Amino acid sequence: MRSKAIAAVGVAAVGALALAACTGGGSSGGASSGGATAAGPITLNYWAWGTAQDGMVAAWNKSHPDIQVKRTDAGGGTDSSTKLLTATRAGNAPDTALVEFQTVPAMIVANVATDITKYVGDAKGSFTNSVWSLVTFNSAIYGVPQDVGPMAFIYNKDRLDKLGVSLPTTWAEFATAAKKVHAADPSTYLSTFNTSEFGFFAGMAQEAGAKWWSVDGTTWTVQIDGPESIAVANYWQDLLDSGAIKAEDLLTPQWNQELNNGKILSWPSALWAPGVIYGVAPKMAGQWAMAPLPQWTPGNSAVAYQGGSAVVVTTSSKHPKEAAAFAAWINSSQEGAGVQLSTGQYPASKLGQESATKSAPPLLMPQQTDYWQLGSKIAANTIPSISWGPDVNVASSAFQDAMAKAVANRTPLRDALTEVQKVVVADMKKTGFTVAN
Amino acid sequence: MTTTNPHPPMRRRRRGTAAPYVFLTPAVVLYVCFLLIPILYSIFLSFRGLRLVSGGAFGHRQETFIGLGNYATALTDPEFLAGFRRLAIYGIIAVPLTLGLALLFALLLDLGAARAKRFSRTAIFIPYAVPGVVASLMWGFMYLPVTSPFSYITEKLGWGTIPFLENPEIFSSVANIAIWSGVGFNMIILYTSLRGIPTDILDSALMDGANEWQIAARIKIPLVAPALVLTGLFALIGTLQVYGEPTTLRPMTNAITQTWVPLMTIYRDAFIRDNLSLAAASSVVLALGTLVVSVVLLRLTQKRAFGED
Repeated sequence: MRSKAIAAVGVAAVGALALAACTGGGSSGGASSGGATAAGPITLNYWAWGTAQDGMVAAWNKSHPDIQVKRTDAGGGTDSSTKLLTATRAGNAPDTALVEFQTVPAMIVANVATDITKYVGDAKGSFTNSVWSLVTFNSAIYGVPQDVGPMAFIYNKDRLDKLGVSLPTTWAEFATAAKKVHAADPSTYLSTFNTSEFGFFAGMAQEAGAKWWSVDGTTWTVQIDGPESIAVANYWQDLLDSGAIKAEDLLTPQWNQELNNGKILSWPSALWAPGVIYGVAPKMAGQWAMAPLPQWTPGNSAVAYQGGSAVVVTTSSKHPKEAAAFAAWINSSQEGAGVQLSTGQYPASKLGQESATKSAPPLLMPQQTDYWQLGSKIAANTIPSISWGPDVNVASSAFQDAMAKAVANRTPLRDALTEVQKVVVADMKKTGFTVAN
Repeated sequence: MTTTNPHPPMRRRRRGTAAPYVFLTPAVVLYVCFLLIPILYSIFLSFRGLRLVSGGAFGHRQETFIGLGNYATALTDPEFLAGFRRLAIYGIIAVPLTLGLALLFALLLDLGAARAKRFSRTAIFIPYAVPGVVASLMWGFMYLPVTSPFSYITEKLGWGTIPFLENPEIFSSVANIAIWSGVGFNMIILYTSLRGIPTDILDSALMDGANEWQIAARIKIPLVAPALVLTGLFALIGTLQVYGEPTTLRPMTNAITQTWVPLMTIYRDAFIRDNLSLAAASSVVLALGTLVVSVVLLRLTQKRAFGED
């Protein structure tokens, strides 16, 4: 009868829709490289964030028609490494991916990054020893460095000059400058303390001489709450208590608005920062400048890295040789370096850094014509052999939690550091690592 | 009142057809694929963990069986348990207010003398149609001191900004979003239940001289008790599973940590700490807890609400 026929058609339609939805969803994941027929090109998948990527991939695709690369933006450093972990377990990770230097050990331990020593031996000469050591673990190479982030001080020169505050060269001077700025205008702060900036805090601690993870043979030593790191925590504690600095998260709508209104006057971070600030405050071009990061000891000049990333080849890749060749080419060729510089990335390669000195300054500070000369001086003087542990993601999330809680409950920041130390050591021991303390 | 017929007419048996099973199949398939198998897999995962397999400082981790280790960790994790305490505070604010306001609006709309009923119903229901993340973002901007219209007014009056996003006001701020979204849906359920009350009961009450307050308290509310228990149960389960509002508000305030509610802890363990097994164990604990709470609530209210012994 008619109603039965209608009902049957209805069920069939719903069933067909459901099946279509299921299969449609499945094919959008980043499956491993398309198969290479005898005549067709190999397609590699590449997960990377940042404005430099499309240009670099296009340059490679033009000069290597037999190996084509498809790029996907899988989110920033933390997001994409989280996705890499789950994608590897699901068996559909990309062939190559951009990974921050601090996350590379965790990628090795989670069996995401594969050993590419035999493929990239000749790329070694394109990088300085200290940069190459960032991807070397137990004498094996796990990635090719793409960009480095030597720490530097980005500040609103116009407003600082108007308030009559001179540029700080040591952290002690920074503290006095912060108090002076806040006293001159109670709604303005020299900088904000960001409880989620794990990388920045680690960099400051490393500048003070701390070594958060070190490995000796097969034994790890974790020293996140060593005396140098506690000193950094106390430093920011004093500034927060005095009211000269406030605790606020970076790059939120509130922070961006305050920055644009000239209420936040600096961002101690790294050489890649101008691009980020320009993205949220393009009207401030010409008002900002870059200077060396304040030091703990007057006269010192070595700084740590904040961020910076490398391209790793994954264990899921069916074409590791081609993937490694791609990684080496985009990160050490002239074309790759050209794209990096035009988009504000500071190249890790020696070639790139030399070309940098001849480039125009970033869009945020067109008036600072010696930006790249100063930048390469800073980059040439970095703290050697910074080592990260196998569970940096745990440390980073524990750091964010503990610091946010300490700020909200007004408990000492150094106790938050001790909490992070406890969590990291417990996690490493539980996984089965040998930890000295 | 019916006379029993000693010889009831023979009922002709229906020939067994496959039609019922055919109609059931899509639902059963979806249930098994998307509910049963993932649940069983989670329970399986919760008994395993990632441990170092090969040696050395950069050895590889692999999944192995570790028994009840994850459950021990989940039940003794202070952050996970603290999340439940915060849920209790949030629930005490959100659930009574949501249900109370929903009941009040339903009773008001049910009054014969109410005007503009259709407009009011739609207006009260519309917040429910706003997706959770959108609602949280919108309220978040209304709470942020820089963009809040409320703080703008109080600042102009000289009282400073309203601390919506600080402890302890954060609890009522988050609860407010849930109340704003949830009142409409619950109101519709209670209103429908009220409409189902036979009018002769109400008429006889009016004839006996009861006023609207007494009718509401003595007749209407007891008669919608089953619907109240239902919405109360949903609200309770919803409270235990709060995730969207705190997560969306988190970038705007330091008062919400990464582990503010149990589901956020589970997300962090699963995806940020790369510990799927611990997250699976915590999820099982949360699900069992929800089950226990639901059963207890239903048992307690069974006699009074549903009139069963």
